[in-house]
Amino acid sequence: MTITPKAPRKLTMKQRYSALTRDLEWDPSYVSDEEMFPLTSFEGITIHDWSKWEDPFRLTVDAYTKYQAEKDKRLYAVLDGFAQSQGHLSLTDASYLNAMKLFLQGVSPLEYQAHRNFAMLARHLNGPGPRFASLCQSLDEIRHAQTEIHTLSNYNKYYAGFHSYLHMHDRVWYLSVPKSFFDDALSAGPFEFLIAIGFSFEYLLTNLLFVPFMSGASFNGDLPTMTFGFSAQSDESRHMTLGLEAIKFLLEQDEKNVPLVQHWINKWFWRGYRVTALVAQMLDYMLPRKVMSWKEAFELYFEQQMLGGLFQDLAYYGITPPLHVDKAMQEKEYLSHQAYWILYQFSHAAAFTTSVPSDEHMDWLTEQYPDTFPIYRTLWEKEKKNIAAGGRHFIRGLPQLCQVCQIPMGFTEADEPFIQAQRESIFEGERYNFCSDGCQYIFDHEPVKYRQAWLPVHQIYQGNCGAADLPGVLDWYHMKPGDGGEYLGSLDNQNWKKWHDMADETGGN
Amino acid sequence: MQFELRTQVIEPQRKTFQHLIDRYGDRPASRYEEGTIDLQARVNYHYRPLWDPSKEIYSPDYSALKLTDAYSFVDPRQFYYAPYVTARADLHEAFGATLAYLDKRGMFQRLPAAWSSLFQDVVLPLRHYEAANQMIASGAARYGWGTSITQCFAYAAFDRIGNAQILSRAGISFGGGTAESLDLAKRTWLEDEAFQPLRKHVEEMLVEKDWGVAMVASDVTDRLIYGLFYTALDDAALNAGAASYSLVAQHLSQWFTDQRRWFDALYKAWVSDPELGEANKALLGSIVSTTLATALAALQPVAAKADGLVDAGAAASLATAAEQIVAAFAALGVTVETPAS
Ligand SMILES: [Fe+2]
Ligand SMILES: [Fe+2]
Repeated sequence: MTITPKAPRKLTMKQRYSALTRDLEWDPSYVSDEEMFPLTSFEGITIHDWSKWEDPFRLTVDAYTKYQAEKDKRLYAVLDGFAQSQGHLSLTDASYLNAMKLFLQGVSPLEYQAHRNFAMLARHLNGPGPRFASLCQSLDEIRHAQTEIHTLSNYNKYYAGFHSYLHMHDRVWYLSVPKSFFDDALSAGPFEFLIAIGFSFEYLLTNLLFVPFMSGASFNGDLPTMTFGFSAQSDESRHMTLGLEAIKFLLEQDEKNVPLVQHWINKWFWRGYRVTALVAQMLDYMLPRKVMSWKEAFELYFEQQMLGGLFQDLAYYGITPPLHVDKAMQEKEYLSHQAYWILYQFSHAAAFTTSVPSDEHMDWLTEQYPDTFPIYRTLWEKEKKNIAAGGRHFIRGLPQLCQVCQIPMGFTEADEPFIQAQRESIFEGERYNFCSDGCQYIFDHEPVKYRQAWLPVHQIYQGNCGAADLPGVLDWYHMKPGDGGEYLGSLDNQNWKKWHDMADETGGN
Repeated sequence: MQFELRTQVIEPQRKTFQHLIDRYGDRPASRYEEGTIDLQARVNYHYRPLWDPSKEIYSPDYSALKLTDAYSFVDPRQFYYAPYVTARADLHEAFGATLAYLDKRGMFQRLPAAWSSLFQDVVLPLRHYEAANQMIASGAARYGWGTSITQCFAYAAFDRIGNAQILSRAGISFGGGTAESLDLAKRTWLEDEAFQPLRKHVEEMLVEKDWGVAMVASDVTDRLIYGLFYTALDDAALNAGAASYSLVAQHLSQWFTDQRRWFDALYKAWVSDPELGEANKALLGSIVSTTLATALAALQPVAAKADGLVDAGAAASLATAAEQIVAAFAALGVTVETPAS
C-alpha cells in the first residue's frame, strides 16, 4: 500500500539534468526526420532508441563555465609568471623544445580540427544527449588548441621552429602524418568520427599520445606545458567517458552495428598507432631527461590498460582487440629507433633538430631495449665516425611515402628487423605502396578515399610545392635558418649557451 | 636551477608567430589573435567528405555569403575560450543569484495572474526555440569559413543551450521545483495553434543547409523575439508589478546585447568587403526580406496570445521591432522589403 504524496514531487538530480538538456528536444513535424538529420543514415549504423544514450557526465552550462573559467585563470597566471621570469632558461636544455615544436606543429592543429567536427556532431546527431556532450567537447577542444598555442607562444619568441606551425602543418612532409589522420576522421560520417576520435583517439590511444608529452614537460622543467596538461586532465576524463559511452551505445543498439564498429576499431587503432610513431621517437630520443621508454609506455598504457582492461569488457559485445595489434606489440621493441633514424636523416627538411644520442643516452637505450638497441647502436657509432670525418648524414633525395599513414617507407617487417616492409595494392590500374599490413588493410577497404591523399612527396614531384629543388621547397614550407638539421651548433644551441653564460656572469644560479 | 636575469635583457627573436607578423606587422599579438587568426586549414585537404564528395572538408562554398579575406572580420569582444567562459560564468552566476532571490521571496507566486500565464504559456515554450538555435549555430561552427567567424558561432551555440537552461531553471522554480511547468510549456510548443507557425519556421531554419542563410535567419528571428519578450515586455512587466518577469528577462536581454556586438560586426564585414560587398548586400537583402516576412507572420499569433493575456501592446512592439530591422539593414546599405502587417 503506498500513499500518494500530496505535494508535487521535486526533481531528482538526474531528472533535473534531463529537464535542462535532453527534454529540450522535440520531434519535428514540419520537416522530415531525414531532412533534419541527413548524415546519420548513410554509414549503415542502426539506432533504435536515441534516448538509451546514458549521459556520460552531468554538467550544466553554469557549472561548466564556472569550473572552466577558474581553471583557465590559474593556467594563464602560470604562463604569465613563467614568461616574466624568463622561465625558459630553466629547461633542461634547448633541445627539449624539439618535442614541443612537434607538438605545436603536429598536435595543436588537431585539437582545432576536433573542435570543428564535434560541432558537427552537436548539430547532426539525432539524440539531444550525445549532441550536448559533443557540444561540450567541441568547446573543450578549442580550449586545448588555444591554451597550447598560448603555452608555447613564449618559446616561439626565443627559439626556432615554432614560428610557422600552421603553415607547416598543411604542407610539410612529416606533418601530413597527423594532418591526414584527422582529415580522414573529418571526412568520415558522424558515427565513424565518434569511433575514430571519440573512442580510438580519446580513449584507446589518448594516454600514449598525451601523457608522454606532459610527463616529458614535467621532467624537463617545462612548467607551462605541465600545467596545461594538468589543466586539460578533467576535460580529457570527460572525453574518455564520452568515447566509452559512444561505443557501448552503438554496440547495444543493434547487433548489426558490431562488425562495422569492429572494422572502425581495426582501422582507427592502426591509423592512430602510426601517428604515435612520432611520440615514440620523441620519448626515446628527444627528451634530454627521460621519463620512460616507448616500450614501457606501450606496455603500460596499451597492453595493460587497454588489452588487459577495456577489451576484456568489450568482449561481451563480441568485439575483439584490433587487427594487427600483434604487429604493434612486436614493433614496440624498435618503433622509436626506426622512426628517429628516419627523422634524423631528413631533419634538414624539418622544423626541429636532431642529434646523435650521447653515450649516456645510448646506455639508457641499451638498458631499455637490451634485445634490439645494440643493432641500432652500431648504426650510431658509425654515424659518429662520419661526423668526426666531417660528414653528418642527411638524405638529399625524397623518400617514398606510405599511401595511408604517409610516413616514409623505413619500417621493417615486424618479425624481421632487417628487412624493410613494403606492401602494394593495385587499384584501377594504379599501384599504391604501404608500410605495413595495417595500412594496406585500411587502403583496401576504401581505395577511393586513400588514393586522394595529398602526399607531400608526390606533390613536390608534381610541382605543387613552390619549387623542384630542396631549398625552394623549404622556402615554400616557410623554413628559416636554424629551424632544422643538426642540433649541435644550431641557432637554439648557440643562443642557449650564450644566454646561460650571461646568466653566469650576472651572478645568477 | 633558477637563473636570475633581472639585470640582463634577452632580446626575443620575434614578437609572435609568422602569420600574424605577415598580417599585422612586427608587433606583439594578442591572445585573441594568436588563438584565432588562420587556425582553420585552407589548403591541401587529403580527402573529400564521404557525406558530400562534391565539397572539401572546409570550404567557403558552404554558404553564399562570403568574405574575400575571412579574417577581415574579428570578434569585437576578442573572445577566445578563456574570456568567453569567464564572461559566461559571470552571466550564469548573476542569473543564479536572481533565481535564488526569486525563490527565497516566493516571487514567482507573487506574479499577477495574467503575467503568470504569459510566462507559462508564451515565454517558457521559447526554451525550445533556444535549443534549436544551438543546433543552427553548431552547424555554422562546423561549416563556416575562417576561425574568427566560426569561433563566434561555436560560443553562440553554447550560449543558446545556456539560455535554454536559464529559461528551464526559471521554469522549474516557477513550477515549484518540479518539471510540470516545463512539460506544459513543451505541450504548448508542440500543440498550441499560436505556436505552430513559429515552430514551422524554426524547423525550416534548422534544415537550411547554407550556414550563412541559417544564421542570418536566426538573427532576424532573434531580433523580433528578444525585442518583444525581453525588452518591450520587460518594461511592461515593471509597470504591471510583474517584477520577477523583469528580473529573468534582464539576463536574456543582456546576453542579446552581447550577441549583437559580434553579429553587427559580421554584417559590417560582409557589406564592406572590397570585392564581395555588393553581392553580399543583395544576398542579405533577399535573405532578410524573406525571413522577416516569415518570422513576423509566425510571431504575430504569439504576440496576439500575449495581448490576450496582458495589456502590454505586444503586437505593436513586434511591428516596431520589424521596422527597426528594416532600418538597421538600410543603414548598412541593405534594402529589406517592409513586410505586410
Ligand atoms: Fe583535446
Ligand atoms: Fe603506413
